[in-house]
Amino acid sequence: MTRIALIVACLLVPAAAGAQQAPPPHDSLRGAVRTVDPRARTVAVTTGVGMALRVVQLRVPTELRVSAGGAALPLTALQPGDIVRVSFGWRPAGLVAYTIERVGRMTDGAGRSP
Amino acid sequence: MKPAALTWAVGLALAAVGACRRPQPGDPLPGLSAAQRDRFTQGRAVFDSTFTPATGLGPLFNADGCKECHETPVSGGTGDEVERHATAFHPGGPGRPCDELAAEGGPVFQKRVTPALHAALNIDSEPVSPHATAIAARTTPVILGFGLLDAVPDSVILSYADPDDRNGDGISGRPNRFFDGRLGRFGRKALVPTLREFNEGALSAEMGITSPAVPNEETVGGRPLPAGTDPAPDPELSQEATDQLDAFVRLLAPPAAQQLTSEARRGREAFARVGCPGCHVPALRTGDSPIAALRHREVAAYTDLLLHDMGPQLADICLGLATPSEFRTEPLMGVRLKSEFLHDARAKTLEQAIELHAGEAAGPRDRFLGLPAGDRAALVAFLKTL
Repeated sequence: MTRIALIVACLLVPAAAGAQQAPPPHDSLRGAVRTVDPRARTVAVTTGVGMALRVVQLRVPTELRVSAGGAALPLTALQPGDIVRVSFGWRPAGLVAYTIERVGRMTDGAGRSP
Repeated sequence: MKPAALTWAVGLALAAVGACRRPQPGDPLPGLSAAQRDRFTQGRAVFDSTFTPATGLGPLFNADGCKECHETPVSGGTGDEVERHATAFHPGGPGRPCDELAAEGGPVFQKRVTPALHAALNIDSEPVSPHATAIAARTTPVILGFGLLDAVPDSVILSYADPDDRNGDGISGRPNRFFDGRLGRFGRKALVPTLREFNEGALSAEMGITSPAVPNEETVGGRPLPAGTDPAPDPELSQEATDQLDAFVRLLAPPAAQQLTSEARRGREAFARVGCPGCHVPALRTGDSPIAALRHREVAAYTDLLLHDMGPQLADICLGLATPSEFRTEPLMGVRLKSEFLHDARAKTLEQAIELHAGEAAGPRDRFLGLPAGDRAALVAFLKTL
């Protein structure tokens, strides 16, 4: 539930963080893949709190592999409706994924605790 | 009897009457500690607050406080406001069939704006996305007793699911799920997993009030707010106030069912005979809870909290896994407090509401319509005791 708060914190902090040469702020979220663009290497994830829904747009570095059950998958393996756990950080061009783990499908659920 | 003894006797008698008194709409759950009752009272003050742009209202909003909608007959009840929700449904497409328009400010498209936003954009409401395939009207639910619904374990809800209708009764409830995979239960399409999120999401989507859980404002169709239109610093409601609000809603007692007349007793039998409990499960049992008043209790909710296909006439928006024609079984607890029925108030009487049931509910509806007039009236009389 604090995910949106932390994402916004990520958006607000970079200037101060840059001034102190600290590592870029990072956070994680869990949500459903909305869109995947393997060519542009972007993933959009739907998340939110109650009926206040948000889409988080992430860039995916070329070297990043999606993990699922310990296996590494190409970005093309991700489908809309996949439930993913993502860690990410802020870069000048936007949010960048550090890790993407596929943990289930919305149709099947993935347990009560995110 | 000596005066002191008399005082004690009267005091005990009054206490006994108080303990046996049925909770009235708006009362807290029985059995709360003094600290919990205090929290409830503090939360009611937040719930009853009227927000202004200076205290965080908007810039997009549907109401200036919880109580503006949840007002009849008490805080936590229903109201006459009708909201506008919109989504896009594309079955058979490459993506998820349902697009909640989350990237475009949806699915709640607020009907009001603050003067500052009006001045900046010359709009009176949030424009509905051109990508929407359906716009739905949504009335205010009675939220009395929702703390008990929150305390029902997922396993209890899932035990009623029968997505492939293996028992052949024509009813095939299935769960909705939030975007992280958790089971949904709140909202007309059962998208929202917990009461806490239902409350925090409503602060943002209904009033434009940011909180620690949702500290960023709604967008206008996905576009950021113009500078200067949101004067209050975020979060506009503190964690403490959010917690108090949550406690109030969580600890609201469900309306106690009224005494059954002989007609209502006949109606209860008819309710069972025509098959209404196939979806409107009379009672759910809560599980463990840190709050004793919510722990291992039976709640006469008359719902299974699952999605059911209600037929094409009622269909409107999709949400999560719910298709346009699927709706969560509406809890009937507190239905006597309402004067309009169904998710969009299209039914003006309970009898009309039943007649509008279709899809999985077609069988019970037809059996209801086949009852003698006296039995139909008795069934409605029973519903008016809930």
